[in-house]
Amino acid sequence: MVKFTIEQLREIMDRKNNIRNMSVIAHVDHGKSTLTDSLVAAAGIIAVEAAGDMRLTDTRADEQERCITIKSTGISLYYDMKPEDLAEYDEPKGYERNGNEYLINLIDSPGHVDFSSEVTAALRITDGALVVVDCVEGVCVQTETVLRQALSERIKPVMTVNKLDRCFLELMLDGEEAYQTYSRVIESANVIMATYADDAVGDVQVYPEKGTVSFSAGLHGWAFTLTVFAKMYASKFGIDKKKMMERLWGNNFFDKTTNKWTKKTTGAKTCKRGFVQFVYDPIKMIIDLAMNNEKDKLWAMLGKLNVDFATKDKELVAKPLMKRVMQCWLPAQVALLEMIIFHLPSPAMAQKYRVDNLYEGPIDDEFAEGIRTCNSEGPLMLYVSKMIPAQDKGRFYAFGRVFSGKVRTGQKVRILGPNYVPGAKKDLYIKNIQRTVLCMGRRQEAVEDVPSGNTVALVGLDQYIQKNATLTDEKNDMAHPIKAMKFSVSPVVRVAVECKVASDLPKLVEGLKRLSKSDPMVVCSIEETGEHIVAGAGELHLEICLKDLEEDYMGGAPLKVSEPVVSFRETVTVQSDHTVMSKSPNKHNRLYLIGNPLEDGLSEAIDEGDVGPRDDPKARGRLLAEKWGWDKDLSKKIWAFGPDTLGPNLFVDMCKGVQYLNEIKDSCVAAFQWATKEGPLCEENMRGVRIEVHDVVLHADAIHRGGGQIIPTCRRAIYAAFLTASPALMEPVYLVEIQAPEQALGGIYGSLSQKRGQVIEEMQRPGTPMYNIKAHLPVLESFGFTNFLRAATSGQAFPQCVFDHWELMPSDPRTPDSQTNKLVMETRKRKGSKMEIPPVNEYEDKL
Amino acid sequence: MKVVGLISGGKDSFTNLILCSTYGHETVALANLLPAEDCTEELDSFMYQTVGHNVVTAQAQCMGLPLYRRRILGASKEQGLEYHGTKGDEVEDLYRLLFAVKNAHPEIQAVSTGAIASDFQRLRVERVCARLGLISLCYLWRQNQRALLRTMIHSEVEAVLVKVAALGLEPRRHLGKTLGEMEGTLHKLNRDYQSHICGEGGEFETLVLDCPLFSEGRIVLDDTEVVMHDNSGIAPVGLLRVKSFHVEPKPGQAGVRFLVTANMPGQAAGIAVSMQKAAAC
Repeated sequence: MVKFTIEQLREIMDRKNNIRNMSVIAHVDHGKSTLTDSLVAAAGIIAVEAAGDMRLTDTRADEQERCITIKSTGISLYYDMKPEDLAEYDEPKGYERNGNEYLINLIDSPGHVDFSSEVTAALRITDGALVVVDCVEGVCVQTETVLRQALSERIKPVMTVNKLDRCFLELMLDGEEAYQTYSRVIESANVIMATYADDAVGDVQVYPEKGTVSFSAGLHGWAFTLTVFAKMYASKFGIDKKKMMERLWGNNFFDKTTNKWTKKTTGAKTCKRGFVQFVYDPIKMIIDLAMNNEKDKLWAMLGKLNVDFATKDKELVAKPLMKRVMQCWLPAQVALLEMIIFHLPSPAMAQKYRVDNLYEGPIDDEFAEGIRTCNSEGPLMLYVSKMIPAQDKGRFYAFGRVFSGKVRTGQKVRILGPNYVPGAKKDLYIKNIQRTVLCMGRRQEAVEDVPSGNTVALVGLDQYIQKNATLTDEKNDMAHPIKAMKFSVSPVVRVAVECKVASDLPKLVEGLKRLSKSDPMVVCSIEETGEHIVAGAGELHLEICLKDLEEDYMGGAPLKVSEPVVSFRETVTVQSDHTVMSKSPNKHNRLYLIGNPLEDGLSEAIDEGDVGPRDDPKARGRLLAEKWGWDKDLSKKIWAFGPDTLGPNLFVDMCKGVQYLNEIKDSCVAAFQWATKEGPLCEENMRGVRIEVHDVVLHADAIHRGGGQIIPTCRRAIYAAFLTASPALMEPVYLVEIQAPEQALGGIYGSLSQKRGQVIEEMQRPGTPMYNIKAHLPVLESFGFTNFLRAATSGQAFPQCVFDHWELMPSDPRTPDSQTNKLVMETRKRKGSKMEIPPVNEYEDKL
Repeated sequence: MKVVGLISGGKDSFTNLILCSTYGHETVALANLLPAEDCTEELDSFMYQTVGHNVVTAQAQCMGLPLYRRRILGASKEQGLEYHGTKGDEVEDLYRLLFAVKNAHPEIQAVSTGAIASDFQRLRVERVCARLGLISLCYLWRQNQRALLRTMIHSEVEAVLVKVAALGLEPRRHLGKTLGEMEGTLHKLNRDYQSHICGEGGEFETLVLDCPLFSEGRIVLDDTEVVMHDNSGIAPVGLLRVKSFHVEPKPGQAGVRFLVTANMPGQAAGIAVSMQKAAAC
């Protein structure tokens, strides 16, 4: 029974401080979707009994089958909180609630590293995150990745230590062991949060004694925060609830016989840690009673705890009984809602500090002000973070968040695409919104309008939005777009696809367009040979994409898929051995260039956005001079970053007193973008290359030095400068995390070394026989690694791969039959290029 | 006015001559500069088109006009925008040529040139004309190149590409194509790289095979080959070398009044005559 109507939902959207936008993030298999069910159940969308088994937010058939989340799913939930539940709420000043109803816009996101881009899209439109961590497995590679992403988006986290049931039923941990395990998990998460925290958000670390950490068993639908127990005992001991909370965590010990609290254990048998004495042991007792069917004792206990237990459920035995008892005693939604409402910021609160991280334009214009105050009367600012496939195949909802103003059905909006530049007409559309709808998991509900601070799905814009966009009022042509999202993964694995039946080609072309729209990360392109290339973050990601492509976007037309191929990067290792010169086709213009490798760490800094084209040139110059020893004059005259104006290659002007130089700058930059996108070795992107313009000789008449003359000249000169600077190839490398018991270690090391992998860390998980191994593994060797590893360890080890860095390959690609030469030739062959690396003199001219 | 037509063999010089006659001027002679050695195809000169120079004689014959020629002995010495007169500069060759033409035809008052947008070329021609007391007639100057190309195609100037040197033009694909066939491509390159539609920045050179002024016949290319100058694959430069050609009567004409077949070494005797005339200065 749904406990709310759309009208109620819509009404509450105007009360900014009664809204929470949050995402659920975690490592794969730590129980996000399962836990989310409890929240959904509390809103009445599914039966409480089914919570934990249904995974409502896993909307796709393959998600249900594989038991993993693939696409992030939004759901709007309405809660009518009881006044006594909110009594403890210490409301932040200026953001007091209005009524006891709450709207929670929740986004369940995938945990597998291959789908990190979905998480990125989810984080952008939320203000808070519920971080779910498996209490046994602890903080894993993906937990860290998404946490880092969340913090860089200024998302405030709360945490739940999940799968507590494993401690009781599977591992049979005693109280002190369990406490140590939990506290280690929380500590390691806090280390990450402290590392990546942003001062603007304030303290983002989580503390059980402050109520920002909960303990849950998603599968059984129960959870608690220390407040629940503190409330219970505060009256019994007659002390302040806050004080009680503090005593339930950390080094606080209680001796039952003496009735005394101490800071250290006294050594007496009856002296136990507060958490163990008052939290862990009671739960353990109830669970044991239920599992052993000692019903009489159980009813007595429940009576003492004031738990209502329905008569019809008294017939249950063992596990179902235990589940039901726990659900009644410690319902998950109560603890989670308390944490979400009390500790996550409302949109009004969050947008105040998020605005300078979101808006590209000046931070004091009316649009920034609208976002800062989350003003529904302000100018419309809406960010579309992803496209969701609609029921009717081929159409998409544009899913996003209103940051300022109001979006209405039928409204005319300006759509600013990712390449939009204020003032220009590029990548700009003005269109009507056909309908505004709310996402309710598997259903959508139409609403008249949606005010700022809420998530929304829009119908009728899918033809004009590629993957994401900023929407503003029709007339506000002064608005700057909202910053593009930064993805933590890159599409390094690619396959070529073709149709088995030639006449299906139009379907394939159309299908690829839809696929690229539906997924924030996938890149579809056409090679010069006419091959259609699909690039994704990993094997699993590609598998899902291709399945979608074949079944949904092409109506089942059969596909032929090539072996996966890997992207490389082309780089240089030393300075060019001489200044190279190229003449324009009409021979009347000459460019003199030198190539140089970028300093260590600079490419990564550019990737991270620490150094970028939009920085203030002075500040950037200072940074470059301090960190990488650049000459001050040099850093002032950075012409461009490339490829795609953001990449880790630099184009620097070092000319002195050259006439007309500014006139050809645009042509040169265009050539640089082109050249860095398709390097001379095998037409892969360049990386870590600095091209310096040392001199130019130009025709006196502008007409003889137009783009048609300068672009090819500059591109040739860049290639010549590149080839004279000892070119080399870089390959992508994964960070692999493997968890396995000790006896599997031999097999892991063996298979890693066979695949050119390098172990960088080996750690035993304290308190468990499990080992945690981190290693670097070339993406090239990673195909089928999962199965290979399983075979070598009789199924005991399971790897998680996430792209880590680009690694320079040692051999010289110009030496025939070297490893890199073979790779270059394979790539050239696939792309239909000539089967040799072009010699320098093809690009260089003599005076 | 009586006009001498400065021709390069390309579309612009002939289009300008057509416009001269439209405006009531009478062309009495043609003038052309050719490389110092016959075997040179392309000088990469800052001033003159030299590709297809072996066909220029035939063009003059098709028009039935005397042709004066001179070899380019100078080089581009002054590369600034303006020209002040430098000894040994290639512009001085133009001066000598026009000087000779003026001596032979004292009635000539004006020079027809096909510059469209290059100030570099216009300033030099004007400078030479001023020194000789001639007027420079340049109807194409600063015209919209898109419209101009359209006009050329419409007024039946049949010209083929004989040199390409710009991004997006491929020798083996585009050489030998007529303007009409190239129009779409040229518009596209203009959109993509802002290159000039009429090739004014040196993007390509053409050779006129037929135009309304050709009263005596039209030129047919029999054998040509593509010569690559720069094969880098980025912006390859290539020429179309005319190995042999002939002149055929236009429809409605009685028959072939003369026949020229030119091979590179043994160029038609006509050149020798005009060479002597030119040398007379």
